[in-house]
Amino acid sequence: MFWYKSWLDTRWRFLAAFVVLTCSAVLTVLAYPKVVMLLPLVPLEASIQGGEIGRRIREIAELERTYRGYIWVQAFRQNLTQMGVLFAVLLGTGGLLPSGSKDTALFTMSLPASRPELLGARVATGLGQLAVLAFAPALVFPLLSPAVGETFTLGSALVHGACLFVTWTVFFSLALLLSTVVSGVWVPALIALCAALVLAAVDQLAGGLSRFSIFAIMSGETYFRTGALPWAGLLASGAAAAGMLSAGSWNFARQDF
Amino acid sequence: MADPFVIETVDLRKRYDGVEALQGLNLQVPAGSIFGFLGRNGAGKTTTMKILLGMTRPTSGRARVFGLTPGSSGEGVDIRRRAAFVSEDKSLYDSMDVAAMVRFTASLFPRWRADLERQYLRAFELPPNASIKTLSRGMRTKLALLLALCRGADLLILDEPTSGLDPAVTEQVLQALVAHVADAPATVFFSSHQIADVDQIADHVAIIDRGRTAVSGALDDLRRDYRRIQLVFDDTAPEAVFTAPGVTHVRRSGRVLTLLSTAGAGQVVEQARALAPASIDVCPVSLKEIFLETVNAEE
Repeated sequence: MFWYKSWLDTRWRFLAAFVVLTCSAVLTVLAYPKVVMLLPLVPLEASIQGGEIGRRIREIAELERTYRGYIWVQAFRQNLTQMGVLFAVLLGTGGLLPSGSKDTALFTMSLPASRPELLGARVATGLGQLAVLAFAPALVFPLLSPAVGETFTLGSALVHGACLFVTWTVFFSLALLLSTVVSGVWVPALIALCAALVLAAVDQLAGGLSRFSIFAIMSGETYFRTGALPWAGLLASGAAAAGMLSAGSWNFARQDF
Repeated sequence: MADPFVIETVDLRKRYDGVEALQGLNLQVPAGSIFGFLGRNGAGKTTTMKILLGMTRPTSGRARVFGLTPGSSGEGVDIRRRAAFVSEDKSLYDSMDVAAMVRFTASLFPRWRADLERQYLRAFELPPNASIKTLSRGMRTKLALLLALCRGADLLILDEPTSGLDPAVTEQVLQALVAHVADAPATVFFSSHQIADVDQIADHVAIIDRGRTAVSGALDDLRRDYRRIQLVFDDTAPEAVFTAPGVTHVRRSGRVLTLLSTAGAGQVVEQARALAPASIDVCPVSLKEIFLETVNAEE
């Protein structure tokens, strides 16, 4: 029953995330015919200003000339990645204290369950929600693409969904760990989001190394460009998430209520 | 042989950020008793309860509940399976309604009493579909009590169960507690600022002050042993030293000398006669007076 309580505590955050991410995926697909019409209007490569911004615009224009490239740029590299991190943090925030109040936890802590059991139910519910949030929007692409006369393979959708899920667990775990250290709901969320911003900034400054960043793994860039799964990155993300969850569990086991 | 004490603490200490919440608490709660746990704000009552339920770990000393150690993960779960706790704030899950809250709690206790659940839902007039967050303080208290009473617990730990309630609801809660214990034997360990509540239903009390047990025992014994002895003199009361056992306070005011004895009045009166007072009055002492004398004495 503890999973049920965790579900009740987080259901509105989850449902909001589900609606936003799924709608984002649907709109991305439905906007494609318009993008196809507008693409010829994009200036020739030579006429675009040089520098990093120019390079990026050229890259996006180039990638979006194919439907697969368009979906990857708009959805997996941009919308789902950015919004997903935010929602993963929000789902992980609060730990066992959905209202941010220790008083609410007193009832929970007085029930016949060990702390690992309590945290386990919370983590399992959160990971289940993250899996739905990662795979549902990804599956929109193979299901809805025929409506705009295009195809997107189920395999690609599943791989991208897996990349989103595994990397989002890092931010979910970070928020959960911070919730065992810092009280309240918003402070752990803000710290976790600041950490994500720092990682994103490093990613932007890293140049050639950015393809090894967590955001590159999240977007499935290696898979998109080469067809190879980013095993090392996924394993490293999984290990980081497991490490933070273990630290959170250790901390929670020693907490006084 | 079964342990005669459901709760036992020995030299229990807890320090929070440099503050000593408990400073060597010794407590023995007999099985089957209704045990009133009295103390001023910040005396360490809630901390003690949290330690007994494994929510907080003691800095040193020993706490045992049903002979088990609350701080041990496995034994703590066993304790919480047999004990019910109602916190001072009556914390419940605001995301649930009354029926869901009852279902959730019932699912965790195999000895859940469905008959009592129906009885208390009716008696407390709790609307099953009402959201927890819309309940008044009185209704929350009643629901929290229902959740504690129906789980078939051997021990009820109640932190200020009647705080913030109007007299009618307070009476209803106290009556429900007494009726429950009469029907299904259990030990009740409850803290309160309402000395009248403790006086009404408790058979044992402990008064703690600054994390230490100041007074503990059966309420009848305390009522029998505590005596106020008032000596009135024709002239100014003399400055006398009383060596009789149990004399805890001597107050001199004009012609009157007032003594508080924790060991009856016999020997004190005998010693007082030597001072040749005009009159000697021996009065019983109420629990409120015992409490006030105890916590004031600690100052």
